[in-house]
Amino acid sequence: MRLSTLLTLPAALLPLIYAKEQHSYTEHLHLKPLPDNSLYAGFTFTSTTPYTAYASNHFRYFPRSLAQILQYTHTAELHLRFALGRWDEESWGSRPRRGSREGGNGVELWAWMDADAEEGWSDLVNSLSGLFCASLNFVDSGKTTRPVLSFEPEGTLEELQETRNGTGELRLLHGMLPHEVVCTENLTPFLKLLPCKGKAGISSLLDGHKLFDANWQTMAVDVRPICSTGGDCILEIQQTVDMVLDIERSMRPRESPIPRPLPIKDITCDETKGYNGHDTCYPEGPGGEMGWSLSSVFGRPIRGSCALGGGEEEEGFDITLKVPSERTVEVISETAIPQSTSSGSRAYRLPKDANFDLDLPHQALESSSSGAFALEQPPLYASRQLTGHGAERGGMHTLLRNPHPYAQRIVYLESLPWFLRPYMHTLELSGAGGKMEKMFYTPLLDRQRGTHLELLIEIQPRSTVEITYDFEKAILRYTEYPPDANRGFDIPAAVIRVLPNNATQDQGQGRDYYLRTTSLLLPLPTPDFSMPYNVIILTSTVIALGFGSIFNLLVRSFVLVEEVPVGALAGVVWRLKDGVARVRGMLKGGGVGKEDDGGGVVKKGEVVVGGEVRKVNGGGGGGGKKDT
Amino acid sequence: MRLTNFPSWLLALLALPLFTAAVHTSNWAVLVSTSRFWFNYRHLANTLSLYRTVKRLGIPDNQIILMLPDDMACNPRNTFTGSVFNDKSRMLDLYDDKGALEDLGMGGIEVDYRGNEVTVENFIRLLTDRWPSSHPHSKRLMTGPQSNVLIYMTGHGGNEFLKFQDSEEISSFDLADAFEQMYEKKRYHEMLFMIDTCQANTMYSAFYSPGVLATGSSARDQSSYSHHADQDVGVAVIDRWTYFYLEFLETRMNSTSSDIRLGELFDYMTFDRVHSDAGVRYDLLEGREQAVRERRVLDFFGNVQGVEIETGTQETQNDWKKDLEALQELGARAESQQTAPKSKDKNATASTAANGMPNVSRVSLDMAQGGGSWLKKMAGAASLAVLGGAWMASNKLTKQYAVK
Repeated sequence: MRLSTLLTLPAALLPLIYAKEQHSYTEHLHLKPLPDNSLYAGFTFTSTTPYTAYASNHFRYFPRSLAQILQYTHTAELHLRFALGRWDEESWGSRPRRGSREGGNGVELWAWMDADAEEGWSDLVNSLSGLFCASLNFVDSGKTTRPVLSFEPEGTLEELQETRNGTGELRLLHGMLPHEVVCTENLTPFLKLLPCKGKAGISSLLDGHKLFDANWQTMAVDVRPICSTGGDCILEIQQTVDMVLDIERSMRPRESPIPRPLPIKDITCDETKGYNGHDTCYPEGPGGEMGWSLSSVFGRPIRGSCALGGGEEEEGFDITLKVPSERTVEVISETAIPQSTSSGSRAYRLPKDANFDLDLPHQALESSSSGAFALEQPPLYASRQLTGHGAERGGMHTLLRNPHPYAQRIVYLESLPWFLRPYMHTLELSGAGGKMEKMFYTPLLDRQRGTHLELLIEIQPRSTVEITYDFEKAILRYTEYPPDANRGFDIPAAVIRVLPNNATQDQGQGRDYYLRTTSLLLPLPTPDFSMPYNVIILTSTVIALGFGSIFNLLVRSFVLVEEVPVGALAGVVWRLKDGVARVRGMLKGGGVGKEDDGGGVVKKGEVVVGGEVRKVNGGGGGGGKKDT
Repeated sequence: MRLTNFPSWLLALLALPLFTAAVHTSNWAVLVSTSRFWFNYRHLANTLSLYRTVKRLGIPDNQIILMLPDDMACNPRNTFTGSVFNDKSRMLDLYDDKGALEDLGMGGIEVDYRGNEVTVENFIRLLTDRWPSSHPHSKRLMTGPQSNVLIYMTGHGGNEFLKFQDSEEISSFDLADAFEQMYEKKRYHEMLFMIDTCQANTMYSAFYSPGVLATGSSARDQSSYSHHADQDVGVAVIDRWTYFYLEFLETRMNSTSSDIRLGELFDYMTFDRVHSDAGVRYDLLEGREQAVRERRVLDFFGNVQGVEIETGTQETQNDWKKDLEALQELGARAESQQTAPKSKDKNATASTAANGMPNVSRVSLDMAQGGGSWLKKMAGAASLAVLGGAWMASNKLTKQYAVK
C-alpha cells in the first residue's frame, strides 16, 4: 500500500514537469561554407505549447496571431513557404534538411484541415495573406489541389483527432503562387512571430538587405501537433530560414554595392600562362579559404542570446559551424563562450547580454579542399522545361536522373493552372529505367480548377527518365490578363518526393527527400491591349459616316430651285439687290446680257439640297431676278 | 471679395476655437501608388516616403493601408537589394530603416496590398469597406465617424482620371462617389486627399461630400515633374511635389507636438518649387479657407490618442429615432443637391443653408471643359469666323470665275 503511493507520487508529478517543459522555445543556427565562396546558413526557431493551453487561448512562446487563425479555420497542420532562387545541386550537393523545409519559387502553402469546414481554406488563405503581407488570397479554387501521395502529415493527426473528439475527416489542400515576390515585407511579420522579434538571439542576424540578396533563400513556417500515446498533445511551430550567401557579395559595403575593378597593381597574375607579360595578365584568385565573419557577412553581430526557457538548464548549443578542424575560427565576445569542438564541426552557446561574432580569417588549408567540402550527393536530379513554339501549343519536358546504384521510387506532383491544358494521351515516360506505377489525375475545369497530376514512378539505378506531354494554351478573356501580361504566366514548380527505400534506410536516411524544379514562364497569346480602342474609334467613324448620309437622305427633301419658297428676309435682300442692279444697269447700259447668261446657268434646273438652296439662290439671285 | 464674404468669414472666426480643438479620435492613412514597372520607381518611393512620415508622426502600422503595385526593393534591377531610396544621397532607406530607427520600433515594413491586388475595384472596396467576411482586418480601413483619413495617391494620370497599373483607370467621379458613400456610411470625420500626378487638380473637382480637403500637384494641362534621378539606381527617385511636401514635413514637423498649420504647408508648394500649379480645394470643409488654413498639419499626418466612449449596446427607442433622423437628413441633403441651381463655377462658394448645414452644391459636369477659359472660347470663335470668311471668299471667287 505504502509502496504503491510512493510509486504514484512521481507519476502524478510527471505530467506537471512535462507540462512545464511543453512551453518551450529553442533556436539554432547552422553554418556551413560551400564551394565557390558560398555560405549556407540555416536558422531554426522552434516553440511549443500544450494543446490544452492552445485550446484555452493561453500562449507563452507560440505566436498568438497565428494560433488564432489556426483555431478559427480548424487547421490541424500547416506548412507555409516563401522561396527565392535555386539550390544549385551540382555545386552545393544535397539539399539542407532533406528538402523538407523548402518551397517552390514564390509562395507555397499546404494544410490539413477539418473536412466539414467548407469555408476554412478560403478563410485560412485570406487570414494568412493579412498576416504575412503576401497575396495568398489569390490561392483560390483554381490554384488549389488535393495531392494524394506527395505529402504526409508530420504531426500525429490521428491522435489529435481522438483527443479533440473530432469525428470529421481531415483533408489536405495545397496551393502555390509562383509569381509572388518574396521581400522584406514578408520577413517583418515572420520575425514578429518569434518571441525575441529579431532583437536578440540568432534572429538578430536576419536582415532583409542580406536575406533577399542571397543566391537561394527559403522561409518556412510549420505547425504540427505531437501527441504522446497517453493523449497529451503539444503543438509545435517551427520557423526556419535557409539561405546560401555569396560571401564576397555579402561583404560589399551597403553604401556602394557596385563593384569596381581593382587597380592593376593589386591583381596577382598567373605567371604560368604562356602569354603572361608586362602588359598581359591572367588574374589569379587569392586561393585558399576566403576570410569572413558573421558581422561582415550579415551586417551585424549576434546581439546576445534569446534564452527564454528558464536559461540555466539549457544544455544545447545555439550555433553549429561545420568547418574542417584545421580552420582557424576566432570567437569575438566580451564573455567566455561555452563551446565544443568535434571533428568537422564546432558548437557555441550564445552569451546572455553580450554581442557575439565569429571571425574566420583568410587561410590556405593544408588538406585538399575536396575533403573540406565533401558534398553529399543528392538522391535525385530533376529539371523541367517548356518546349515547342508558337502561341497555340507547347510541350512539357521533365528530366529525372537517379545517380545511385539502387532503384528509387518517387512521387511526381504537378499542379497546373487551367490555362495550360495538357493532352493526357501524349503523356509519356521514356528513357531506359522508368516505370509508372500509379497515376492520379484530376482534369481541369476552365476558370474553376487546375490540373492535378501525380505520378508514382520507379527509377532504375543510374538511369534517366523523361516525362513529356503536350499541352494547349488557352486564350484568356480580355479582363483576365494581368497588367504585365507580356511578361508571361508563371507555372508552379513540380514537387518531387523521393520515397525512402531499403538502401537508404540502411544508411540512416529513413526520411523522405523533397526537391522542387524551378517554376516556368509560359508565354500566352496576348492581344494588343489598345486594340479595343482602335475598334471603338473605327466603328464610331463608320457609324457616323453611314448614319450621317442616311439621316440626310431621310430628313432632307430634294427640290428644284424654282420650287424653293422665298423667305421674307431673302425677298427684302433680293429686292435691294434688284434695285442696285437696276441702277447699275441704268448707269452702264450694256452689261446686262452677260449677267443674263450667268443667270441662265443656274436657271437650267440644277437640283440643290436644302442647305445650299439659299446660297445658290443668293448667288444667282441677280440673274434670276433679272429674268422676271 | 473679402467684404462680400464677410458674414461667413465672421462665422468661421467665431467657430475657430471649436475647430482647432481636435475632435477626431483616430487617424488613418491610405497610401497608394498606382504604377507598375521599374521606371516608375519614383511613385513607389513617393508612397514609401509618405508611409515613413506618417509612421514617424505616430500613426501605427495597423492604421496605415499601403498599396504597392510592384516590387522595387527586391527587383532584380535594383542594385541596392532590399532598399528603396527617395534621394540620391541614399541616406535614408525607405524600405527597412532598421539602423537608425529600430529603437523607436520603426523597423520593418508592412505592405497591405501588393502586386496585382492593387486594382480600382480593391481601392473602392477598401474605401467603402465592402468585403467578404473572410477579408483580414489588417487589410481593411476600419474607420468611424471620429476618424481623420489621409489619402495619398500617386501615379500617371490625366484630365479627371488616374491610371492603375497601366491597365485600368479610376475617374474623379468614381472617387467622388466613393467618398460620398464613405460620408453616408460615416466612415470619416474629415479627410485630406492628396494626389501627385499630371493634371492632379482635376481629380478632386468632382468631389461633393462634406469634410473633404483636397490638394493636388498640378493644374489641368500641366505635367507633374520628377525631382531628380539617382544615377546608380538608374531612374528618377522622387516627384517634385512630394519632395517638397517631405522637405516641409521633415524640417518643420520635428515632433508629434508641432503646431504647424496647414496653410503654411500649402503655401510652401510654390510654382518655383513644384514647377506646376499646386492646388487646394477648401470649400467642402466647414469654415472654408480661413478656418481650414488654421488647422494643424498633425490633424491629418499625426495620430491622436483620443478616447471614444460607447454608451453600451442596449437598443433603446432613441436609437432608431436617431437613425431615422440621420436618414431624413441624408434624404434632405440629396434633395437639396438636386434642386440646387447648377453653379457655373467649379469652385463655387457654398452658401450657408437655413438649417446651418453647409449647402454644398453638386459640381455640374462640364462637358466642354471650358469653365473660365474665355481665351479658348474667343480663339474658337475667331477660328470659326476665319473659316466662314474663307468659305465665303472662295465662294465669291468661284462665282466670279464661273461668270467670266
